Amino acid sequence: MTEFTLSRRGFLTSACCLAAAPIFTPVTFAAMPGDKRFVTIVLRGAMDGLDLVQPYGDAGFAALRPTLALAPDKGLIDLDGHFGLNPAAADLLPLWKAKELAFVHALSTPYRDQRSHFDGQDMLESGGEHVAEEKTGWLNRALAVIPRSDARKAIDVNTSTELILTGPNNVDVWASDSNLGPAKDEMQFLMRLYAGDPAFAKAMDEAMRANSASMTAEPSGQRGEKITDVAALAGNMLKGDYRIASFSITGWDTHVGQLSQFKRPVQDLAQAINTLKATMGADLWAKTVVLAMTEFGRTVRENGSGGTDHGTGGCAVLAGGAIDGGRILGKWPGIADGALLDDRDLMPTADVRELAAAMLYRQFDVSAEDLTGKIFPGLSFDKGSQFLRG
Amino acid sequence: MSLSFPTMAAIRFGYGLRPGESLPQTKDDLIGQVMRGADIVPGFPVGGIEARHTQILDLQDRLKQVRQADGDDLARRQQRRLLQRRAQVLFQMDANARLMQSVLSPDGFNERLATFWTNHFSTSAAKSLPMRLIVPLYEAEAIRPYMGTKFATLLRSATEHPSMLIYLDQAQSLGPDSKGGMRRNKGLNENLGRELLELHTLGAGSGYTQADVRSAAMVLTGLTIDPQEMETAFRPQISEPGQHQVLGVSYGGAKRTRKDYLAMLDDLSVNPKTAEHISRKLAVHFISDQPPQEMVAAMSEAWKKTDGELSAVYRAMLDHPAAWRDEGAKARQPFDYIVTGLRALNSGSDTGDVAAFMQAYQEDDADSDEMMAMQPKKQDAAPDGQAMMQAPPSPDDEARIKRRKAFQMARALGQGALRRMGQPTWLPPSPAGFEESFSAWITASQLSERLAWARRASAQFGKDVDPREFLKATLADAARDETIRVVSQAPNKISGLTLVLASPEFNRR
Repeated sequence: MTEFTLSRRGFLTSACCLAAAPIFTPVTFAAMPGDKRFVTIVLRGAMDGLDLVQPYGDAGFAALRPTLALAPDKGLIDLDGHFGLNPAAADLLPLWKAKELAFVHALSTPYRDQRSHFDGQDMLESGGEHVAEEKTGWLNRALAVIPRSDARKAIDVNTSTELILTGPNNVDVWASDSNLGPAKDEMQFLMRLYAGDPAFAKAMDEAMRANSASMTAEPSGQRGEKITDVAALAGNMLKGDYRIASFSITGWDTHVGQLSQFKRPVQDLAQAINTLKATMGADLWAKTVVLAMTEFGRTVRENGSGGTDHGTGGCAVLAGGAIDGGRILGKWPGIADGALLDDRDLMPTADVRELAAAMLYRQFDVSAEDLTGKIFPGLSFDKGSQFLRG
Repeated sequence: MSLSFPTMAAIRFGYGLRPGESLPQTKDDLIGQVMRGADIVPGFPVGGIEARHTQILDLQDRLKQVRQADGDDLARRQQRRLLQRRAQVLFQMDANARLMQSVLSPDGFNERLATFWTNHFSTSAAKSLPMRLIVPLYEAEAIRPYMGTKFATLLRSATEHPSMLIYLDQAQSLGPDSKGGMRRNKGLNENLGRELLELHTLGAGSGYTQADVRSAAMVLTGLTIDPQEMETAFRPQISEPGQHQVLGVSYGGAKRTRKDYLAMLDDLSVNPKTAEHISRKLAVHFISDQPPQEMVAAMSEAWKKTDGELSAVYRAMLDHPAAWRDEGAKARQPFDYIVTGLRALNSGSDTGDVAAFMQAYQEDDADSDEMMAMQPKKQDAAPDGQAMMQAPPSPDDEARIKRRKAFQMARALGQGALRRMGQPTWLPPSPAGFEESFSAWITASQLSERLAWARRASAQFGKDVDPREFLKATLADAARDETIRVVSQAPNKISGLTLVLASPEFNRR
């Protein structure tokens, strides 16, 4: 037997070793027959795609982002002569070179104008056309129509499934019951929350100084180790009965001091992807697609506190041996005057649901009819999709 | 700008807002809760008051058997440990039921008063093993039914209960010159006499002397526990004969009776110092660490006019304008914080989702020891956890694992959190009860604990809750603009809910 099968007991054992995984909310898995694997990573908090994959070739980019914009002579890793990779993601470069990594710019859900994380994430995970239209997650609805899939037993060890996999179809869940420390972006909100109340501001200040480890979840290495653990758990499950896994990475809501704040979640993402590959091994990785996506992008212009605010057009990351990578996908709208949405956001040129639909189509032969009817109601999709080409 | 009456009534005088629960609209509504409350049977002691009396006797008998049993020490220790464990399990169930009583009751003011009075007449379950069973009974039968009576009734009820007699060593106190005292060569224990004057009635520094303390203890001699029945008893043969002067009034005589100490308690209950002390304590608890003197004066006046009719004293507090302005001056204490948080998250009809979970998983699995043994041992280092391949656990194992996880979560959100935050139920640090002031509770470590609790509770119960709706439903017009802004911008739902529960206005009242 060449393929290692992780037993349920082994699954739980792994969970025990992962007593604390601060940035990962539940890891959800779904088993189904067939060889192909699909992993979704929800980047909660609105990942700044323009920081991760910077359009340094666009005139005016540096002026729009005086402190955030990099260039190849300032550490940016050139990808194709126009876009460059944030150096915090340097660990992903080997995947890019192996054509196992791609980025898709200017994506969005149908959500517009309001820019609420809650609504945006609901839209991203439910796959509907409007807020609160769909009560279940698109990945769960997909389970029902994937050919040859059958009923699976739930192993709800703790807490709940994330929305993306919530629904009538059985999904196994592992979740950390640890004492979750806040991600750095959440810390900013706590500071604001207490700013007008001196007694609480003082207590918070002391708490941070007294216990910076648990309050900020920032001690070097710790967070990374935990990401490695959870991604390894997901990878091991995918080596066994499971074909679909989903988890989240938080920490992307970089309103303030993005230059330093952005590094940590980017490194988390890079480690999560690399760990998945290392755990699954070359054979399985070749059959795998990882889709990391976020609820919306961030403002093209830097704000007054060295950060960016909620925007519209965002960026998705594709990885895996099953993709034809080494490319920047999507239709780039540019950032020139007049090209921005509401004079502030990257103009979306494609629906992130189309990208997800294309991956389901590719990995699991889900029909276009099911994709546009049951899974992503209202979506236009056919096998001529730009995301299925070349 | 003041808050609306219902919001203020729920936050300052109750345990906050529970979605779907109607709010008090008038002062009469609040007073009505207290009058009704006397007849409401609380959810503890688990099994009911009658059964608890039997359980206490049973525990006493068994402890006696263990003490008197022949045989080796090991067997006796094991038997004793078993009894300890049973008492502890019962105590934990009662403590959880106490928490749920406040979470589920629509009568927040009555519940807050129960917490206040149980703390005013503090007794601790840590005193002895039987006290694990007695203290919950004490709150249920000696405190709660009398919170709307004359203070004299409540004072008698609390002072005479075995919980108080054990906690403050009254059961060990004998008149030195009584027959029983001389025979056993034992004497007076001043503990209850002192706390009666210092904590329960007149108040520290109110002018009584050490001689008054000793005399009060002398008057109390004879009041004890019948060890066979575990009931309050009066034994003239251990009661100090003669007259004893407390604050210039003589109690007792050649033949001592129960009437002596009852007369003393009645006098103390209407003493102006007592009226002032307890009126202030109520105002400090409900309104502000520095309540307006006129409010305390109005309450004391009502006390005097009615001979300590507690509903009139509460009414005087509610009638004072200061009761309805300057919201948020007090810090929610940990019990208050957790009850309010659980209530806020406890949407759904009847019991609600949160309470259903907390109640379903309040008992540890009886097989927990086996569970521990079943947990995989630490493996030798192996790549990718591959050494962990074993036979899959049966569905029964999975159900037990799931149940144990849920139990651990329920404990972490309930009594576990209260312990970590420094306010475990029925385990006050001293006869003076828990700390009261804002600065005692809003500290760095306290805030860390509350943030951790908020995050855990949000993750456990907040999956389907929109933080903006949650904020409206739980803080109503008490939500500050900045909190509304911050919560609406939170990076995800769990963060949003956490921020609501962590906000200053959720931690103040």
